[in-house]
Amino acid sequence: MLKIDNLHVAVSGAEILKGLSLEVPKGEVHAIMGPNGSGKSTLSYTVAGRDGYDATSGDVTLDDESVLDLSPDERAAKGLFLSFQHPMEIPGVQTMNFIRTAMNAQRKARGEEEVSAADFIRLIREKAKLVGLDDAKLKRQFNVGFSGGEKKRMEMLQMAMFEPRFAIMDETDSGLDIDALKMVGEVVNALRGPDRGFLVITHYQRLLDYIKPDAVHVLAGGRIVKSGGPELAVELEKSGYEQFIEAA
Amino acid sequence: MSALANPSPFEAALEADFNARSGTSEAQAAAFDRFAKLRLPNRRVEGWKWTDFNAALRSAEPGDAAEADIKPSPFSALDPLEFRIVNGRIELPDEPVSEGLRYGVVNPVATIPDLEDHPIASLNVALARKALGFEVSDDVAFDRPVLIRHINTGGGFSFAQTMMRISPGARLRLIETYEGEGAGFYSHLFHMVVRDGADFRRAVCQDMGEGGIVNSICAAKLDKQAKFYSTGLSTGSRLSRHECHVHFWAPGSSASINSAALVAGERHSDFTTDTQFRAEGCAVSQLHKGVAKDRGRNVFQGKFHVFREAQKTDAKMAANALILSDGAEENHKPELEIYADDVECAHGSTVGALDEDALFYLRQRGLNENEARALLIEAFVGEVVEKFEDEALRNIFASLVDKWLEQQ
Repeated sequence: MLKIDNLHVAVSGAEILKGLSLEVPKGEVHAIMGPNGSGKSTLSYTVAGRDGYDATSGDVTLDDESVLDLSPDERAAKGLFLSFQHPMEIPGVQTMNFIRTAMNAQRKARGEEEVSAADFIRLIREKAKLVGLDDAKLKRQFNVGFSGGEKKRMEMLQMAMFEPRFAIMDETDSGLDIDALKMVGEVVNALRGPDRGFLVITHYQRLLDYIKPDAVHVLAGGRIVKSGGPELAVELEKSGYEQFIEAA
Repeated sequence: MSALANPSPFEAALEADFNARSGTSEAQAAAFDRFAKLRLPNRRVEGWKWTDFNAALRSAEPGDAAEADIKPSPFSALDPLEFRIVNGRIELPDEPVSEGLRYGVVNPVATIPDLEDHPIASLNVALARKALGFEVSDDVAFDRPVLIRHINTGGGFSFAQTMMRISPGARLRLIETYEGEGAGFYSHLFHMVVRDGADFRRAVCQDMGEGGIVNSICAAKLDKQAKFYSTGLSTGSRLSRHECHVHFWAPGSSASINSAALVAGERHSDFTTDTQFRAEGCAVSQLHKGVAKDRGRNVFQGKFHVFREAQKTDAKMAANALILSDGAEENHKPELEIYADDVECAHGSTVGALDEDALFYLRQRGLNENEARALLIEAFVGEVVEKFEDEALRNIFASLVDKWLEQQ
């Protein structure tokens, strides 16, 4: 499904990812853990196509198709979703209008029919309930005045609405309380399926109590330095990253 | 008779027009004398440094205004009472006068004590032949909007005035549009009084072709407990400057003065305001949003002048701008001049580019670059569009913003 092959990425002239390779097969959830500054956010921005995060070598493919030459919106239309570590507040943009516009832009790019206003409202109300956002929040300007936790719920709402083929969740758990963590787990578990993949980037093991990963990778110094099963996350929680920082 | 020293061809044409008139009053002659001293404002005059009429008019054709087809107005959908001022000629609505209103074509004012140092206002007083006089009677809330369409179709120059009185307790909604494909100069001097407890709401739409050179001056005097709202949207023209001079003469009045400018190509927009507080307990909120692209130039000058007697004044001003191209310009000059000690006054000005983080966010969600930019610009100026309380009016302004965005 998502395959990252010997990826090198430089940001403002400094090489951050130094030959990262990783494969998430269809239907699987993989977790990436790693210390601060190891390149986790660079990885998510590069896969999503942010300007200034250019691969100097290597490749990223989604279902065997390279995405590196695609614009961020083309990647989104291919079903690539990024849950942002720091979701934006966008004053003046009405939440419902924006999510519907985005949804229809993706559908249009895929040659699908646009979602009707009535279907959209029904869907967003249902998903808002799932992520624990009340309807009043949907009528506000996008994320404006929202708490950190509410912004993360808004990310999960969009993920639930768009039903992406592949989702990268960049520290979705940071700043969340136990109830919100549970909600994130519920959203991911509801979307889990044979044709969908997830890459969950996190500092801590606790999110993985709610989302059971199929594999855990340690990212340090711009490369994957260790891979294993869910037990690796538990081990890291105990021993920390120090051994990997030294190794990298 | 006054004579201009070393006039530009345009000034010479103005002078010839003035000298050819018969029956000029002493007051008009005095106004032309003032103009002869002040001259067409240029960049060396503070207050006009970014909007140089002398330079723009130097190359303007001092020819006659040509008649042209008048396009339908998007505001016709609101069933307005429609007036037209076509190249300075006033046309009244073709319908019986509603109860509670009085209007007609009248002689223009000959003195404007508050604007004697204003070169174009002086020129207008000297040269305007007619004025639209309009009055709303006591306690009348006129429910249809009044539309004044200022249509500039040719070259040359034209002058007109509007005099308006909103009587005590009355209410009026006014829409003014500045339109037409002409390359001439148009000056409109609009002086009005909003009497005790009256409520006046004005919407201004500057949507001229590329050639137009326009200066409008709205000078409003507010009495006790009066309410004044003015919100303008401009897409500029060759040179456009819309001024709002609000004078608080009696306590307890309030005003909301807002403007948004979207300028692309070589277009120029200027919103200049001068708010004078001469009585206690008056309040103003002011918001300007500017978006400049290509080699477009946007100017915002806002001044609060709080006199010693105007205690408890509450005045807030914010101006924010987006620059979308390297060659585009945003020029802001917020000014506070405060002589009273118990007041709350604030102003702020920001200029920046579109937020790259927000753009990436929107694109990650599926919007292409143009759609993402358009959504952010629409949201940015939307804060001004939201000031229109009437939904139908707000929708027309929102669609004008959309139209501009589609053309980019």
